[in-house]
Amino acid sequence: MSFRKIFTPHLGDPNCHTLEFYEKTGGYEGARKALRDWEPDALIDEVKASSLRGRGGAGFPTGVKWGFVPKQTDKLKYLAVNADESEPGTFKDRVLMERMPHQLIEGIIISCWAVGIHSAYIYIRGEYVHAYQRLVAACAEAYDKGILGSKVLGHDFHLDITVHRGAGAYICGEETGMLTSLEGERGQPKLKPPFPAIEGLFGCPTVVNNVETISNLPYIMEIGAEGYKKIGPESSPGPKLYCVSGHVEKPGTYELPMGVNLLELINDHCGGVWKGRKLKAVIPGGSSAHVLSADECDVAMDIESLAAAGSMLGSAGVIVMDDQTCMVNALLNVMKFYHHESCGQCTPCREGTGWLEKIVHRIAYGHGKLEDLDRIDTVCDRMVGKTICVLADAAAFPAWSFTQKFRDEFIHCIEHGGSPEVKRRHPDRIGGGLHV
Amino acid sequence: MSDLKFSEKGMKKYEWLLTRYPDKQAVLLPALRIAEAEFGELGIPEMKYVADLMGISPARVYGVVTFYTHFRRAGTGTFHIQVCSTLSCALRGSQELADHIAKRLGIEMGETTEDGMFSVSKVECLGSCDTAPMFQLNDNYHENLTLDDVDRIIEDCKKESARGGAR
Amino acid sequence: MSEATNPETPLVNWVLNGQPVQSPAGMTIFEAAKALETTIPNFCYHPGLTIAGNCRICMVESNRSKKPVISCSERIAEGLEIQTESPMAIEARNAVMEFQLINHPLDCPVCDKAGECDLQDYSYDHGPDRSRFDEEKNIRHTKELGPTIDIWGNRCIVCTRCVRFCDEISGTGELCVVERGDRSVVDVFPTVPIDNPLAGNVVDICPVGALISNDFKFEARIWNMRKTDSVCAGCARGCNVEVQSLDGFVKRLVPRENMEVNKWWMCDEGRYDYRYLLADERVTACTKDGEPVEDHDAHETLAHWLQDPGGTLGILVDPYITCEEAFLVEQIASHANNALVGGWKPADGTAQSFPGQFTISGEKAPNRLGVEAVLGKLVFGSQGHALRTALEKGQVSTLIVFAGFPHPDPDDAWVQAIRKAKRRAVFALQAGAWTEGAGLVIPGASPFEKDGTYANEDGRLQRVRSFHAPGDVEWSHDLQRLQAVLRIAGLRPRSLSSSAVFRELADVKKPFHGLSHSTLPATGAPLPGFIPLPVGVEGGSV
Repeated sequence: MSFRKIFTPHLGDPNCHTLEFYEKTGGYEGARKALRDWEPDALIDEVKASSLRGRGGAGFPTGVKWGFVPKQTDKLKYLAVNADESEPGTFKDRVLMERMPHQLIEGIIISCWAVGIHSAYIYIRGEYVHAYQRLVAACAEAYDKGILGSKVLGHDFHLDITVHRGAGAYICGEETGMLTSLEGERGQPKLKPPFPAIEGLFGCPTVVNNVETISNLPYIMEIGAEGYKKIGPESSPGPKLYCVSGHVEKPGTYELPMGVNLLELINDHCGGVWKGRKLKAVIPGGSSAHVLSADECDVAMDIESLAAAGSMLGSAGVIVMDDQTCMVNALLNVMKFYHHESCGQCTPCREGTGWLEKIVHRIAYGHGKLEDLDRIDTVCDRMVGKTICVLADAAAFPAWSFTQKFRDEFIHCIEHGGSPEVKRRHPDRIGGGLHV
Repeated sequence: MSDLKFSEKGMKKYEWLLTRYPDKQAVLLPALRIAEAEFGELGIPEMKYVADLMGISPARVYGVVTFYTHFRRAGTGTFHIQVCSTLSCALRGSQELADHIAKRLGIEMGETTEDGMFSVSKVECLGSCDTAPMFQLNDNYHENLTLDDVDRIIEDCKKESARGGAR
Repeated sequence: MSEATNPETPLVNWVLNGQPVQSPAGMTIFEAAKALETTIPNFCYHPGLTIAGNCRICMVESNRSKKPVISCSERIAEGLEIQTESPMAIEARNAVMEFQLINHPLDCPVCDKAGECDLQDYSYDHGPDRSRFDEEKNIRHTKELGPTIDIWGNRCIVCTRCVRFCDEISGTGELCVVERGDRSVVDVFPTVPIDNPLAGNVVDICPVGALISNDFKFEARIWNMRKTDSVCAGCARGCNVEVQSLDGFVKRLVPRENMEVNKWWMCDEGRYDYRYLLADERVTACTKDGEPVEDHDAHETLAHWLQDPGGTLGILVDPYITCEEAFLVEQIASHANNALVGGWKPADGTAQSFPGQFTISGEKAPNRLGVEAVLGKLVFGSQGHALRTALEKGQVSTLIVFAGFPHPDPDDAWVQAIRKAKRRAVFALQAGAWTEGAGLVIPGASPFEKDGTYANEDGRLQRVRSFHAPGDVEWSHDLQRLQAVLRIAGLRPRSLSSSAVFRELADVKKPFHGLSHSTLPATGAPLPGFIPLPVGVEGGSV
């Protein structure tokens, strides 16, 4: 079966975000079909059968997640769409929301019908102003045309969608952090259990799904679980958006079957490493994934294969680094990110992320010591698995993998007075104070 | 103490928002966005106004506002340039971009020009990694930037400001 | 708590450190382990607050998880096996302690919390003996958060106990955490300081030295202070307190846990009300007709007055005397041919209730109910009225007044009335309208200097104890002075301790039957048969 793009075929058209265009290209047929032909329980089973897995990072089977929501409950149920895309290297959901907002709305209708939800929130990161405006406009169109509201597509099913803007916090991409933020609080992750499916938004059963995950649903309605499962590897099938950035000739969002080879993605689709340089390293799934050295990059970009390679698909944010990249400086950048974004709730993360940045900073600026590498290792060890959410782990993974796989470079920095890149850029700061 | 007040339109939006959530506090972030749009920034009086309007403690509002980085805090310039400095952008020259902007405006990262026209700060990943280097200028993304682009954009801002516009 | 005490709650079989144990279902690992006398360190957990689970120090090893779990939020379950001292659990705690300490200023030598600081205590058990942190420490604000509370932000571990207290218990919400990550620290809104009737509690529950009481700052080292369990006399709630003193000076009051009375809290009104102990007007020596006399002379004079009152003997009590003192008052009265005993009490204030189910009583004295249980339920009502009428008519020859109230109360009607007695002895805390013109003035003990029992507004009998060390008291307890007088007058064979006096009281007064100081639980005990009445209704039905 040849691969058919479902997210990106029409992106060339400037009007692809409009309802008119979307309906012209078969839009909302999946939702009509779901409401007309599918009992909710059977629909959940169909999504389970499709093996659709979450596209936000954790890769949890979507149908299974839906199945956790209690069928009998006095409480309202909610769908919270995670559009707080903020994992460094990831920008696929932005494309979907800016260009294909109706596909998302259609997916939301299908999800809500399956789980019996009448109120959905799209939590979109605050920086995405354009995407927010597109979503708001698309919702307005949908309400106007009876696609949303008291009779969804003419069926006896009511559904409201509210687009909710975040305000700048990576942690709100963590599902419970997002829920806390949606509730109007500091976006700090919640203790689990209870899990959101049982007690989530406003204390009610809540499904949390990523934008891309939900945008798959109209297609599953169209071709059925059986057809969907044939795309890519059986355990994590489907079309996939890969975000490629960094040192490639043509960075961008690429829609390919799940499991595309990473080198093929870089070389055939993205025009190879830029400026004719050689590949040094790739972060395959957003900055919290373990970095792959060039010789580890002949790997299929799916959940299992990358796990087997010691990394993860994560959000499929592929960051490519050429052979002139200073890995110490690159890690410093990543450590600065996690330090900045730690919510500060749990001790190991609050203190550990800052500590890691300071150590790497010292190495980059010429104050490193050989024992710092072991220290990074043990600090990471003391952070991982000891916090409410996995931000601490997300900070530790790159720290571990960078220092392990590019140890020689770190040692070189330590022994030769700092990172060559820092020396070039800030000759005055090398050997100076500890902070920029 | 202060005579801050949402406009009729802002108040209508706020009241509509109240109907969209089962819990009042959930309206806080959107309400702060209205305040930001109507008052231009979120300083002490603005936060207090929102707290009083919503009947929640000002401290709670303060904790929320300071948790997030994307609210317009008091003292932000008319044009706020937020340079993405996370890895993908850094790999493609965001540091040079930031240095250039700072030099051009004569201020350091995190500062505001004396005339209050520009603020510039380094921010974390803006989700536009394929168009690096880039920055967000107020609400808008400016992507695939060269240093010449930066000069042109800064000039455009100055012209816009001279015409009396902003944002 | 309720799960633990409800016999209906089913038991769960689980394993704690290799021992099969049973605990009531629904308890957290932390609570269940505590009930089994296995203590797990904690910072953010507080039994009176919602669970935050952020400090991570209470991590333990579970057979149900690859990672360590936090015992403050995970609940026990059938078959659960928990290790609190396994290598994984110890390493987890060591990890948290290392992280807690890297940016901590380690300024214990100048920190008021030192000596009662959880961070300090746990650092001995779990902290590294040297730091691996070679970096510059983070700096956070040190400033006033309100009129009574300062924050030393560098010490803050962002456990949010104080924030939760203001949200959940006082309901005033003045505190918040600002910023995020390792910049986060507790703060107030810039124009709204923390200033609520329960604010002082946030200092108590701060597990480190971040929140500091202005009142206590740099006053004393914790370990040097003498600590006395007693009861606050500020209102009829009778909050359990620890009176902490140094060299005979009270330095601060902190609440003691008593789930039946005050839980873990006390109000600021009570907390900071001890300076009157050192008031200029404090009566420190006996006087006779305005001239200083030896204690013995004063006692002898009063004994003579009692032997020959020259007519009607009046005794005016206040609700600050202990039950034991009230019992001695009754002895005095019972030996007189013609005695009138009446009570005076301060005007009622307004009761205040808080979301955390804490109340400040509207009745602004500690022992009305106890005095009524001894002297009759009308003592502050019609008996008091009768005494005043007799006084006003000049029918009282000898009057003994107990003026033990901490703050001078110009109750004009009473002040005018007592002056009409032919001669007057006043046990007074402070000189003023009540002592003016009195033939005898005898120093009275404050509630913190008394030894005996008070009954609170619920009829719960609780021990009060003097914070003074034996021998460092210049003014001895009213109880001892009264016994001295009675002894000289031949009405008591010898002076006894307050416990012994209580035994006599318990023998003869029905509400006290079966009670004794030694068997009175630390949390007090309800007076049998007592039914609380609303404030202002005359005569609790003892």
